[in-house]
Amino acid sequence: MSAVFDAVMLLLLIATAVTVARARDLVAAVVTFGLYSLVLCLVWQHRGAPDVAITEAAVGAGVTSVLFLLTIAKTARTER
Amino acid sequence: MRAFALALVLVVALTLVVGVAALPPHGDPSGPVHTHVGAHYIEHGVRDTGLRNLVTAVLLNYRGFDTFLEVIVLFTALVAVLALPSATRPRRPGAPADDGGDRADAVPVSPVVFFVVRLLAPFIAVFALASLYRGHVTPGGGFQSAAIAGALMIALGLVFGRERAARLVPYGARAWLQALGPLGFALVAFLGWRLTGVFLGFPADEAAYALREAMVVSLEVGIAVGGAVVLAQLFMALDVRA
Repeated sequence: MSAVFDAVMLLLLIATAVTVARARDLVAAVVTFGLYSLVLCLVWQHRGAPDVAITEAAVGAGVTSVLFLLTIAKTARTER
Repeated sequence: MRAFALALVLVVALTLVVGVAALPPHGDPSGPVHTHVGAHYIEHGVRDTGLRNLVTAVLLNYRGFDTFLEVIVLFTALVAVLALPSATRPRRPGAPADDGGDRADAVPVSPVVFFVVRLLAPFIAVFALASLYRGHVTPGGGFQSAAIAGALMIALGLVFGRERAARLVPYGARAWLQALGPLGFALVAFLGWRLTGVFLGFPADEAAYALREAMVVSLEVGIAVGGAVVLAQLFMALDVRA
């Protein structure tokens, strides 16, 4: 069960990472990056590191997404 | 060029896969993680440091300098952002806003987001305080609390506008609060020097229990408040006008 969970999570991580790298729409990239952080947060929790999971959720999925979105609002929405 | 990039990616990926495959199984007691310094920490940690939580013992004691520099890195990041010419600096309360009204910078948010943030905000605040208060004996601690409280301030800034969220950080104490992490660390480090003769040392004997707890909690409070203010000010510095 644990190995299945790990495998699914790692595949999701790879999939979201590739999606972030390939996205032309930067808002879509930021949203997918938030999803990446959320999956990583679950991995930390599953690995017995709840403190890292909390930080990952707050900073990875929360703060950095907001900072990225504000930066996009200040610059351009699509990659050139 | 494309073929070269593909080859590079494959080589790096293969190296990583081989490296991960060679790692000892998760939780293997004979793995290097558990036999190297880890074994020493587990065996002597409580007696060496007097702290009841080994994670705290490693973070603040064995690797205290790492944590000190991490706190400085966080502070330096804010200094670098505020040094940018385009950064928005905090205004003195009551100073004329260059955009008119108080909520002019609030991005209109959906009622759902507004309701959820208002509903959850007190609980998030209590969670941040709890993970700070119990942080040195249970999972959590200064950095976690800083991340939670900083994210909360940013969420409030998104919903209520940053003018109102900026009031969470008193204008006059702003500079001190931003630097509270490094400042608190330096104070405790010098206090430890005075008491034990070692920079960042903690008195480990049983008699100094209260003093040691006070030092550790001061460090955690400095990290939490300073870190949260740094995160919030990073957000405030990125002002966006519609």
